[in-house]
Parts: sequence; C-alpha cells; structure tokens
Amino acid sequence: MSPRSRLVLASAAGMIALALAGCTAATAPEPAGASAASGTRSVEHARGATDVPEEPARVVTLEPLELDTAVAVGITPVGAAVAGNVTSIPAYLGAEDVAPVGTVPEPDLEAIAALKPDLILGTESRHSELFEQLTAIAPTVFIASQADPWRENASLIGEALGREDEVAELLTGVDDECARIRDEYDVAGQTVQLIRPRDETTLSLYGPVSFAGSLLQCVGFSIPDQEWEDGLQADLSPENIASARADHVFVTAADVADRSAIPAAVATAFPDATLVDTSTWVSGVGPKGAAAVLGDIERYLSANR
Amino acid sequence: MTAAARPGRSILGVGAVALILAVAVIASLALGANPLAPSAVIDALAGRGTSETAFVVWDLRVPRTVVGLVAGAALGAAGALMQAFTRNPLADPGLLGVGAGAAFAVALGVSLFGLSGAGEIVWPAFAGALLVTMAVYVIGASGTGGAVRLVLAGVALGAVLSGITTAITLTDPDAFDRMRGWNAGSLLGAGLEDLAAIAPFAAAGALLALVLAPGLNAMALGDDVARAQGVDVGRIRVGVIVAVTLLAGAATAIAGPISFVGLMIPHAVRWIVGPDQRAVLPMSLLAGPILVLGADVLGRVVIAPAEVPVGIVVAFVGAPLLIALARRRTARAL
Repeated sequence: MSPRSRLVLASAAGMIALALAGCTAATAPEPAGASAASGTRSVEHARGATDVPEEPARVVTLEPLELDTAVAVGITPVGAAVAGNVTSIPAYLGAEDVAPVGTVPEPDLEAIAALKPDLILGTESRHSELFEQLTAIAPTVFIASQADPWRENASLIGEALGREDEVAELLTGVDDECARIRDEYDVAGQTVQLIRPRDETTLSLYGPVSFAGSLLQCVGFSIPDQEWEDGLQADLSPENIASARADHVFVTAADVADRSAIPAAVATAFPDATLVDTSTWVSGVGPKGAAAVLGDIERYLSANR
Repeated sequence: MTAAARPGRSILGVGAVALILAVAVIASLALGANPLAPSAVIDALAGRGTSETAFVVWDLRVPRTVVGLVAGAALGAAGALMQAFTRNPLADPGLLGVGAGAAFAVALGVSLFGLSGAGEIVWPAFAGALLVTMAVYVIGASGTGGAVRLVLAGVALGAVLSGITTAITLTDPDAFDRMRGWNAGSLLGAGLEDLAAIAPFAAAGALLALVLAPGLNAMALGDDVARAQGVDVGRIRVGVIVAVTLLAGAATAIAGPISFVGLMIPHAVRWIVGPDQRAVLPMSLLAGPILVLGADVLGRVVIAPAEVPVGIVVAFVGAPLLIALARRRTARAL
C-alpha cells in the first residue's frame, strides 16, 4: 500500500473512531492518565491509535508543517523544534512565546518534557525511534512523512488538535485564493520553474507534488516535465541549467534582497529570475506558509502584468 | 639507495604522466552532465557555438578545469613535501591542520557573518589555513623534537578545531547546509577571478617546494646526517611549513577540503621516478591534477543530469586505486 492510501485509510479509521468516541463520551468513565478537565479522543496516525486530549492546550510540534498548521488554527504551540539551535520560530508565522525544543532532525527531549505538553506532534519518517520516549512525556501523534502531500498531513494535524473543521476551511481557503488568482491573472499555458540552489554542483528543481510546486500549479502555471523523484524534485548539474528554462523562474534564497547569493550558473542563465524566501517557499509547509507563497505569487503577477 | 630509478624509465614515466594529464584536461573540457557533442565543444572553444554551449564550456568547464589543475598540482606537491619532511609515507597536508583551520574559518564565517557564496568563502578559508599552521608552528617548533613535534601539534590543534567546527554545524544546520557544498569539495565554487587571486600563493608554494628538494633529499637520511652535510635543517623545516601552507591553503580555499590527493599522488609518483625529491616534487605537480580532474569528470557523468562533488569521487576512486597500486608493488621507501 502506498503511504498516501495508508494515510487515507488511517484518516478514515480515525474518523470512525472519533464518531464512536463521540457517541460514548458522555457515559464512558475518564481513562486514567487523561488530562483532568476534559475527555480524550482517539486519533489514528502513522503509529497506530493514540488517545489525545479533547482540547489540547500545551502542544509541542517537531515538524514545520505541524507548527504552521497549529498556529493557523489558533493553537500556538508551547514548544516547537526549529531549523537550527541558533535560529528561532520562523518570522512569517508571527507567533511569539514558542519555546524552541531542539532541531527538527534532533528534538531535545528534556526541553520537551520540561514544557509539560499535553500533545506532541511529530513525523514518523524523522522521529520514528523517539516515539516511545515522546509517548512517555505526552500523547504523541505522528504524520507518516513530510514528503507526503501537505494537505493530507495538515488534515491529520487538524484532527489531532481537534480542529478538523478549521483546517478543512483553511485548505478550502487556499483553493479559493488559488482560483481567485487564476481568474484574475490568467497564466494558463505559461510555464514556471522553482529552483533551489543546493551547492555549487547541485540545483534542485521543485516538482508538482512539492509544496510550492503545487501552489504554482494551482494558480494556473504549468511546471515542465523533469525526471522527478516522486514528483517532488529533480537535481540538476549547472551544465544543464538550460533545461530549467521557463516563462517564469523563481529562485529560493535566505535573503530575497541579496542577489549575490545566487550561484553564478543560475544568475548567468536567468538574470531576470525572481528571488523568493526559502523560509516560506521551501520550509513554510502549511496553511500560513501557503498564504505567504500565494501572496508572493500575486505580488509578482501584479508587478509583471 | 637501490631506489635510484633507471633514467630511461623515469623519462618514459614523465612522458606518460604528461600525456595522461593532457587527456584528463581534454576530457574535462569535453565531458560533462550536459552531453555536448565534441564538435559543439570545439565550436564553443573557438567562440562560434550557441550561447548555451558557450555558457557550459566557458563559464563552467574551463574554470573548473583550471581550478582542478591548480588545486590538484598544489595538493600533490603539498603531499610530497609532507611525506618527505616527516619521513612518513602516510603523511598528508592535513597533518599540519591546514584543512581543519580552513574549515573552522569557513564555519565561523558562515554562522557568524552569514557568508554564503563560494566567492565569499575563499579568503576566510585561506586565512584560516595560514593562521592555524602558524599556530601549529609556534606550538610545535619550541624545543626539540623536529617534525614529530610539529605533526603532533598540527594533529592536536586540527582535532580541536574540527570538534568546534562540527559543534557549530550541528547546532546550526542552516550554516551546515550552506557549508555543505564547500565541505564536499567542488571545482565550481571559485570563479576565475578568485583563482587568479589565489594562484600566485600556490605558485610561490610550488617554487619554494622545488627549491627545498635537495635539502629534503639530505634530510631523508635523518636530521643529523643532513646537518653533517651542511644543510640548515631549521630553515628547511620553516620552508616546508610555509610551502605546504601556501599550497594546501590555496587548494582548500578554491576547491574545499579535497582529501586523499596529497596522500596518494606522491606514492604513485615514487613508484615511477624513485625517491629523489628533485623528481618527486615536479612529478607530483603534474600528477595531482590527473586524479582531481579525472574524479571531477567522473562525478559529472555518473548521475547526469545531476553531479557528484569532486571531493566525494576522489575518495571513492582514490582508495581502490591506491589499494590496487599497493598490491601490485611494494610501497616505495622514502
């Protein structure tokens, strides 16, 4: 079974479990260890079923998507794993008072425990071996992989947070925004390429399944075919930069004002490339990041109309 | 001194190495992740090609070939110097802390000052290499103990700096991401401008190496024997450190820490020309680029349309090559 169909099945099972839990919640005695005030719901996720608090209040996230989604539905986590120990919570989220708890690949268990969370959100493909330890701290829900389509992951996070409806609304909102931009600017048939320079010898092109790639497509652009790995990305030598040619070229950068950071090969081949912020276009997976990316796309389109 | 090679074989060897080097240069211009036809490459070199082929040949392949020539020659000669100087066939330029110093400076520059482009990294890397070998000399040259003391100081300081560098990159994965390209070793990082600025240092190092060769021959039999022959051992020692720092520092600055070239090339060269440093050093200058350019070309074609950085390929290719050579012949004494 593909990860995606597993996830769909898991979500479906979770929905049924939720419905059953809803029916019995009134009569069932409170399970031992559940948070004091309210009851629990069972959530089906990448590591099976976990009873999570009805209204989680102290959430810790280990994956950028989970942080973004939680902030988007109004549950600001008490702690979040961040990109690096010297970096903090991404600025685009506008979230304050989120304690950094280690890095995304290496979360700091002691810092997490010290925050006394009532729900921990992580990622099976990254934090698999930490699941037991995290569960000992608080109920833990894992998405399967950060490489899966982000909308499905966001839906599961919404379920874990008890905000499924809000997440569904946000996702519909993203689609509506896409449709609005598509209608207003009519870019149908125009090609687009999103390039992330990795180092001197490797340029990554982002494909239709990637976060930003999916948003570029939903506003009407088309991404020319490459030898995608799972539709996500394709690596190129600078010698083949010409095959990244498109009507519109975006290049990710840490600082969009600093064109000197563009590798020479990209700068020479695409002198007019538009710089976009790595923290939203690459790392900002989630409803708030999507809104930021769509905002960038619309600003670009209206400036180049 | 049974190792004194027959002159006929040496001349044949020099010819063969020069020929292979020429082939490596041509391959580096002709082959790449973009499968250009040979005629298209020639057109581009002659200034006639399309803008795409001109870009691939003039903006990518020519600079990386020149960088490979300079870095390979510098690493080969630096390795030969270190092995002669320490009288240890396993020595390489890394023993003086050159690579560790450069990497440390780059890590600091990236994490504290947000350096990102390869061009911004060249000078901090070179300065780091110079400062650290200077520190190694100050620590290791006090008292007696000769090369061993220097190497111990270099290894110790290198280990400390590598530890700090690892700590910086682990706590700041963003910095690590930007350092990754440099760390893997790449001939594409530095453009021709950076190369032109760094090359004089490498050239000075190479000249110094050639001047030191007779003294190193005398030192092969021990410092005391060399002194008895009227060689100023202390001066040779300073000279070797300066030359290795210039050579390896320049190579590391423009191409990142490419390991194994400095270890392997002098071995291969001694199998061809014998232990006379007056032959080993110039031959190492010729042979170093063969390994670097060969590995770079291989890295461009194995996973086309993407590439593998040269530093990784050198290790992959160099290790089995060294094992094969070692199995065919007994390791040539120094």
